[in-house]
Amino acid sequence: MSEAQAIAATEAELGLTPSDKPRGMFIRAWEVFAENKLGLAGLAFVIFILLFCFVGPHLYVTNQVNTDLTNYLCHPSGQHLLGCDDLGYDEIGRLMVGGQTSLEVGLAAAVVSVVFGTLYGAISGFAGGITDAIMMRVVDAGLSLPYLMVLIILSVIFHPTVTTIIFIIAIFYWFGVARLVRGETIALRNREYVQAVKVIGGRPLRAVIRHIVPNAIGTIIVQGTFAVADAILTLSVLGFLTLGVAPPATDWGSMLSSGLNYIQGGNYWWLIYPPGICIILTCISFNFIGDALRDAFETRLQRR
Amino acid sequence: MVGFLIRRIGQAIIVLVMVTVATLGLVHLFPGGPVRALLGDRATPFLINYYNHLYGFNQPFYLQYLKWVGQLLQGNLGFSDKLNVSVATLIGQDLPKTIVLVVLGLIVSLIFGIPLGVYQAVHRNSPADYVLTGISFLGYSTPVFFLGIVLIDWFAVDSHVFPATAPQSSSVASILADPRALVLPVVTYAFLLYALWSRYMRSSVLDNLVQDYVRTARAKGASERRVVWGHVFRNSLVSIVTLLGLSLPSMVTGAILIEVVFNYAGMGLAFYQAALNNDFNVLLSFTVLVTVVTILGNLLADIGYAVLDPRVRF
Amino acid sequence: MALLEISDLRTEIQLKEGVVHAVDGVTLHVDEGETLGVVGESGCGKTMTALTIMQLLPNGGRIAGGSIKLAGREITTLKPDEMRKVRGDDIAMIFQDPLSSLNPTHTVGAQISEAVLLHRDVTKKEAYDRAVEVLDLVGMPRAKERVEEYPHQFSGGMRQRVMIAMALACEPKLLIADEPTTALDVTIQKQILELIDDLRRRLGMAVIMVTHDLGVIAGRADRVAVMYAGKVVETTDTSALYENPRHPYTEALFHALPEKSAETRERLYSIPGAPPDLVNPPQGCRFAPRCRYATDKCRTEAPELNGETSAHTYRCFFPVGAKEKTVQGQLTVIEPIAAPEPDALVDQHVGDVVLEARDLVKDFPVTSGLMRRKIGTVSAVAGVSFDIRKGETLGLVGESGCGKTTIGRMLVGLDKPTSGSVLFGGKDLARSSGREYRHERRDIQYMFQDSYASLDPRMRAGTILREPLVVQGMGSRREQHAKITEMLGKVGLPASWTERYPHEFSGGQRQRLGFARALLLDPQVIVADEPVSALDVSVQAQVLNMMRDLQRELGLTYLFISHDLSVVRYLSNHIGVMYLGKLVEIGTADEVYLRPAHPYTKGLIESAPTADPELERAKVHEGIVGELPSAIHPPTGCRFRTRCPIAQEICSTVEPELKPYGVGNHFAACHFALQPPAEVAASSATEQVS
Repeated sequence: MSEAQAIAATEAELGLTPSDKPRGMFIRAWEVFAENKLGLAGLAFVIFILLFCFVGPHLYVTNQVNTDLTNYLCHPSGQHLLGCDDLGYDEIGRLMVGGQTSLEVGLAAAVVSVVFGTLYGAISGFAGGITDAIMMRVVDAGLSLPYLMVLIILSVIFHPTVTTIIFIIAIFYWFGVARLVRGETIALRNREYVQAVKVIGGRPLRAVIRHIVPNAIGTIIVQGTFAVADAILTLSVLGFLTLGVAPPATDWGSMLSSGLNYIQGGNYWWLIYPPGICIILTCISFNFIGDALRDAFETRLQRR
Repeated sequence: MVGFLIRRIGQAIIVLVMVTVATLGLVHLFPGGPVRALLGDRATPFLINYYNHLYGFNQPFYLQYLKWVGQLLQGNLGFSDKLNVSVATLIGQDLPKTIVLVVLGLIVSLIFGIPLGVYQAVHRNSPADYVLTGISFLGYSTPVFFLGIVLIDWFAVDSHVFPATAPQSSSVASILADPRALVLPVVTYAFLLYALWSRYMRSSVLDNLVQDYVRTARAKGASERRVVWGHVFRNSLVSIVTLLGLSLPSMVTGAILIEVVFNYAGMGLAFYQAALNNDFNVLLSFTVLVTVVTILGNLLADIGYAVLDPRVRF
Repeated sequence: MALLEISDLRTEIQLKEGVVHAVDGVTLHVDEGETLGVVGESGCGKTMTALTIMQLLPNGGRIAGGSIKLAGREITTLKPDEMRKVRGDDIAMIFQDPLSSLNPTHTVGAQISEAVLLHRDVTKKEAYDRAVEVLDLVGMPRAKERVEEYPHQFSGGMRQRVMIAMALACEPKLLIADEPTTALDVTIQKQILELIDDLRRRLGMAVIMVTHDLGVIAGRADRVAVMYAGKVVETTDTSALYENPRHPYTEALFHALPEKSAETRERLYSIPGAPPDLVNPPQGCRFAPRCRYATDKCRTEAPELNGETSAHTYRCFFPVGAKEKTVQGQLTVIEPIAAPEPDALVDQHVGDVVLEARDLVKDFPVTSGLMRRKIGTVSAVAGVSFDIRKGETLGLVGESGCGKTTIGRMLVGLDKPTSGSVLFGGKDLARSSGREYRHERRDIQYMFQDSYASLDPRMRAGTILREPLVVQGMGSRREQHAKITEMLGKVGLPASWTERYPHEFSGGQRQRLGFARALLLDPQVIVADEPVSALDVSVQAQVLNMMRDLQRELGLTYLFISHDLSVVRYLSNHIGVMYLGKLVEIGTADEVYLRPAHPYTKGLIESAPTADPELERAKVHEGIVGELPSAIHPPTGCRFRTRCPIAQEICSTVEPELKPYGVGNHFAACHFALQPPAEVAASSATEQVS
């Protein structure tokens, strides 16, 4: 019999074939992710806060539209668990409304910047040459700008709504994503399995779509989660500088801004700590998730 | 090495041009033009025309750009109508204060961040490592202004240990003579930066510890201490240098926020007030100044990288 | 008393999946001034044993039992401070990859003097002087100047000399060399091995040479220990091992070496299966599952290390070999299962020329500056011509930088030649692009060197195999599936494995998968770039046998690129030798190997270690001296002249052309060829090189 048949027969006889079921890429990534306690904790909190902000108002109904000055700065009580703010709104209700804005903007800005940055970076990396050089100079320029200053200027010019804020934030985040994705693309472009596509007669487009993108997706997703955390922070900064969304909409940052006014006068802790802690916990959760995802997508590749 | 320098400077110049063009372009984004912002409610078509002509806003973009760049290079940074001083004067009086804050914050954060990062890597997964990692994560996730507010609440309002505002005096010397007032702002600022350095250092040292040359050093009989500080530390520092350059925008952000929270009359507070007043000359010139500093900073970081890593030099 | 005595050493590594018993009962000894070779394939524990001696175990590793005595002193129980004194001073170690093993930001001088300063009470200046001295000792030219340079400024061979200098700075009693030449070219390898041998004699040092290469051991070791699955399975002095291996594994290893079968072209013996899992090692003899002589006793009981004489011990109940079969009473000799029949290379019907390379030239620009101005060119391939006939194999051999890989890539269109043409069936492949190029892929395919990098880790095996068919639009889904199953069968992989991912395959299996992918388009020609270089000897044999079988069955034509002369000789009908972008010799395999006409070929053959101690010791030729010149500024005239023992003035002014020598179509490019020129008919002299 031929060599190949002999080998196959002996190996089968000796039981030298691995028996575990092959598992797909995302399933294996999830397994590694699940081992990371912090990542799981982060995920749990994110789910919680999403429910709190979006489902909460239906369960804990408060009036967030009409001010009620009789409740001006009321202390926490049975009726208002975390007290009221300077316009008489219930604080917990305010947190929910503010949270909706913060989370919406955070997630949307992250998605927009990652999608755009990925396309830009992938094209630049794959094209190479002069095209790449010019495109990257643009990215360098973007990364050199002090983004808060420009954000402030843009906010002053545009008196932003929720939608414009999303784009303003996204405009600054995509530079970093583009540079990262370009780096990945260049690294992957030189891998032999991408060159192998050419050898079997495949077109470059096939190489990009079938081979480069799937292998870069891990990095992109990780970057996306960090982007959410950054966007929420940036929005809170704008809100704090009263350059964010206009009332009656609010976000956690704006809540902090108005809270700061009362800090000297007395102990109105419920105006300050709840929104601040919400920001911290949400951001830290996304950071934990991002960190855990990074491990998940990497170790999987190293498992031989 | 020379070739490397020339290449980097060339890139920096291109970036600078792009940035200044973009910045000038920003001004024109304002609906109705920048003059409208200047005049606010007083804007009548006649006045708008007048000022457009006066400032040259009705000329083609490239002419405006060249004129503006020419002015900048001569040191003429514009005039703030709202405050009635030249921007240059404003910078002259506010920049030193910001520098004090930034330098102090940087020093404090580096003093803690770098050694602790190394410590964390060497004692990976120990309880201390977990605690310090947690602190770093807090550093990334806490809005700088919130931290400032909380610290003010605890140390100034409640316990009166430190004052609630930063030094209000206008000269650097008297500022430094009042260290108690500087503590809270500097500590808040440093906390954000500390998180960056220590996380990065930890990661860099960990990467280096598994390199083959570490095994060779051990095979020669070097002690762990020598391996870490004599071999790994220097190679890990290289990536921090690059990071320093890239973090300049974050440092600027932090400075602005700290100055607002603590009412510290540096460039950041001035910028914020200019924003609230629609004082565009100030806004533009400050932005350009900071961008130039950032680009230069990146250039210096690259040079520093070449100094530390001989592979780039030869 | 031996210098180093290891008894029943056990090393464990704690991993997430469990505890790996990397070293599981190793006993050996090294006497003063002798070289002990420790040989085995990947995963056998040889490197881990070396690291255990130095106590340089990775995270999670620890010594679980046994003893190591250095000059009578037990070193496994030393405190860390005391062990540190031993490392670098009494025992020194050098590693496989000198580039990554040296600190890139410290000068070479600083690193060598560090070794001195750690163990001797001297001033910095004295340490530095010693560094220069020892660098000179290892044959570094201009040591005084070069001591200020950084590792990346040295070539591979020079870097290894630096490592050796660092190791010898304190004149250790024992030097452990872990695969010291595996990453180096053959000619440099010989220089380094000579150097180690020479230094050993001069300094009265003992050496432990850890390697997978039986040829290296044959020439340099006094005694050998063969390791398998964490244990020593046979140990004796070198000649006895090669003449009379007692353990079936050792015997099998020899049978798997291509050089043993190169003349007869017998089928190689390939050991089926793979080494056992060291987390849960099997109960009986560890080699039993793969041993062709195994019995039930072997599978249940674990044999001890025994032997008729203490000089030659082996771990087997039913050893092979004849001589030392002295009485042990219960030793019964079982008739071994008949070894596979020798399968002589039938002269297959060799057809017409199917692929022709004409004057191929490839230059790579070297750029610098902001606008990427070209400041020089690397002359990777400088005018190479050859042809291959249908059904035969042309082996292209040479060291790093010779251009063989570039030629392979040009043949399949991964690189475009700067000038010259590649003719297939009369058409120039190098000029085609777009749809034409894509269509031509059906005729000529490529096999990559690194199977792990050439298979997309995110795709399942079935998808990877289906891709060529999909891209070329060949067949319906069902037909594709059938073809994939057929091809998997041809390379000896189960059809059910289409669901698996590349990382679930072993190295040899991945290489077979890569081969299957190349075969799917029914090509006529396959260009294989170092297909077996990264594989262990036993696995290599599987792949080589498979390639041979399929060549015969499917009428394939191969261009086989490799740096390993013995492998090339085994598989090829014709061999082409390349040096620095030039084809310096070409002819039939036997002609080139047995009667080389070019001095480089001769040097290459002499430098390559063979698994025959007699032959190795008889080699007096000092190999090829010097280093590879720069490809950006190659030497004028003959490119080999800077390292050639017989170069004359004409060699630097006139570039030699390929002229016929000896018998058959044997050509060489040398003014002073080592064979008599052939009588070539006038008509064939006008042909292009072929």
